[in-house]
Amino acid sequence: MIRINQTLALIITILFAILSCFLALSLGAAEISFTDVWTSLLPNVDGEQAFFFERIIWELRMPRTLLAFLAGCGLAVSGLILQTVTRNPLADPYLFGISSGASLGVVILVALYGGTLSIFTSGAAFIGSLVAMLMLLLIAGRRQSQQVESMLLAGVALSFLFSSFTSLLLYHTDPQAVAAILFWTMGSFSRAQWTTLWFPAVVIISCVAVMLAYRRQLNAMLLGDESATTLGINVNRFRIVMLVLSSLITATLVSMCGGIGFVGLMIPHIVRFFVSQGTVYGILLTALVGGIFMIWVDVLSRIVLDNQELPVGVITAASGSMFFLTLLYFRKNRPS
Amino acid sequence: MSNTLSSSGKSLISVRQLSWHADGKVILDDISFSVEQGSFTGILGPNGAGKSSLLRCLYRFVKPDSGYVSLHQDDIWEISANDYAQQIAVVLQESPSHFNLTVFDVVALGLIPHKGLFTRAQVNDRDKINRAIAQVGLADKAGQSFEHLSGGEKQRALIARAIVQSPSVLIMDEPTSHLDVRYQIQVMELAKSLGITVIASFHDLNLASAMCDNLLVLDKGKLISEGSPKMVLTSKMLSDVFGVCAQVTEHPQHNVPHITYYYGYLSKEQDKAQAKVHTERLAKQQIDTKTSDKGSKA
Repeated sequence: MIRINQTLALIITILFAILSCFLALSLGAAEISFTDVWTSLLPNVDGEQAFFFERIIWELRMPRTLLAFLAGCGLAVSGLILQTVTRNPLADPYLFGISSGASLGVVILVALYGGTLSIFTSGAAFIGSLVAMLMLLLIAGRRQSQQVESMLLAGVALSFLFSSFTSLLLYHTDPQAVAAILFWTMGSFSRAQWTTLWFPAVVIISCVAVMLAYRRQLNAMLLGDESATTLGINVNRFRIVMLVLSSLITATLVSMCGGIGFVGLMIPHIVRFFVSQGTVYGILLTALVGGIFMIWVDVLSRIVLDNQELPVGVITAASGSMFFLTLLYFRKNRPS
Repeated sequence: MSNTLSSSGKSLISVRQLSWHADGKVILDDISFSVEQGSFTGILGPNGAGKSSLLRCLYRFVKPDSGYVSLHQDDIWEISANDYAQQIAVVLQESPSHFNLTVFDVVALGLIPHKGLFTRAQVNDRDKINRAIAQVGLADKAGQSFEHLSGGEKQRALIARAIVQSPSVLIMDEPTSHLDVRYQIQVMELAKSLGITVIASFHDLNLASAMCDNLLVLDKGKLISEGSPKMVLTSKMLSDVFGVCAQVTEHPQHNVPHITYYYGYLSKEQDKAQAKVHTERLAKQQIDTKTSDKGSKA
C-alpha cells in the first residue's frame, strides 16, 4: 500500500516536473503562447515569428530552465545527504564554507584583473569552493572521534574567515565591480548556455547515482555512528566521501549560478514531511521537488519586475522560509 | 581456571587479556572470558565499570591496546567489517531523531551487510523484513514513523533489525534502561527467544538473574567474578562492587537468585552501623544455610 502510494507520488511529481519545464518556456519578458512553445519544440518551423520564438526558447529559456532544474535537484540532494551524514537537520550545502570560498575566488579575480568575464568568474568560483572544501577535509578528516562536531564548527569558522577576506577586498574594489559581484552572490541563471550545461549535468547525475547506490548506508548513518559501524560501515570514511560528493555538486552550481541559499536546507525537510527519506523514492522525490521549485523561482525572477531580473537567491530565501514556516505551524497543530 | 573450563566447551567468542586505556585512564584491565554458543551472557557492574567499553571491544567499535577477541577462533580484527556484521548484530541506545524513517526502513537496515551497492531488495527480503516486524509484534506499525514509537517499541524495532541481519551473536548495550518493567521483560524475553548467542549489559540485577546463563561482573575495568547467577549474585558481591546492602533469596518461579535491597544510605552514622550489622547477620545466615545444605546432602 505504502509502495503504491510512493510510486504514484513519484509519477505525479515527474509529470509535474515536465509540465513545469514546458510552462517555464512560455513565461518571461517576451510572451510566447503555449501553442508557439509546442510548435517551436517540433522540427520544421516556418515563418519569421516562429523562427524568433524558436531562438528565444532554444537558445535562452531552454538551457536556463534546465540549469535551474539541475541546480534545484543538486542542492536539494546535497542538502539531504549532508543532513543525513551529520544527523543535523540544519545542515545545508552552504554551511560548510563552500559558497564563501567561491565568493572569495570571484572577488580576488575581480580585484586583481577587474574583469567580469563569465567563464573566468566560474573558474575562480570553482577554485575558491574547492579550496574551501579541501581545507574542511583537512580538518575534519584528521579527527577520528566527534567528526560531525569538528566538521560543522570548522565549516562555520571557514565561512566567516572567507567572508571577512571577501569584505576586505570588496571594501577596496571599485563600486561597479561590487554591484556585479553582489548580483552574482545572490544567484542567477542568466549565464546558462548549452555549451556549459553538460558540466553540472554530468556532476549532478553521477553524484545522485552514487548516493542512490549508498542509500542503505545513508539510512544507517541516521541510527548513529556506533550502530552504523556495527552494520559494517566505515563511518568516518563514508562521511568524507559523501561530503566530497555534495561539495562537488555545490561548487559546480555556485560557480555557474552563484549563491542560492535555503533550497538545500528546506526541500529535504518539506519532502520529509510527506515521505520516508529512507527509500529510493525519498531521494528521487527530493531531487525532483528541488528541481521543480527552482524552475518556478526562476520564472518568478524573470516576470516579477519588468525589464529587470530579481536575484534568484532572494526569491528562494523569501518564498522558501514562508512556506516552511507555514508548514511548521500547521504541523504543530496536528496531533502526532 | 574458568577460562580453561569454558574453552573446553563450544566457545564462540573468547576474550584474552583485553586491556584498553583512554586519555591515560585504565578503562579495561586484563579481561579474559569466553562465551559459549547459544548462551545468554549478562554483563553487570556499577556506572563507569567498563560495561559499554567491553561491549564496544566486542562489536569492534574500539580496538583494544592489548589482548585479543576471537570469533570462531579468528581474531575479529582480521575479519572484514562486512563479514563481521553478518555475524554480529548490535542493539544500542542510539536512535534516529528528526528524520522521517518508517519502522520498515529501520528494520530493513539489517540487510546492509548482505547486500551489494546496486542490488535491489528482493521479494523474499521484504518477506524477511515483514516476518521480523511481526515477530516483535509491530506488524500494525510497519508503515509508521520510527520516531513516533514508544521506547519499548523502538527497542523491539531495533531487535527486528537485528533479526533481519541474521547474526550468530546479538549484543545489546543496556537495552532496557528507560523502559517500563513490562517492556524490560518483553525485550529480554524476545532476545532470549531468538535462540542465538546473546551478550547484554544490564542495570537491573534481578532481570539479569532471570535471563542469563552466565554473568560477568565488572568493577573499575576489572573482571571481578564470572559464573552462573547463583554463583555470582551474592550479598558479599553486591556490597563489595555495588556498595549496597541486600538479601539474596530464591525467586519463587525458577529458583534463580532474587535480590532484595535495603535502604537508608544517606542517614546518620548509627543507621549505617545498623545496616552493616544487618549485612553481617545476613552473610552469617547464608553461610549457615549453605553449611546446612551441605550437611543435608552429605
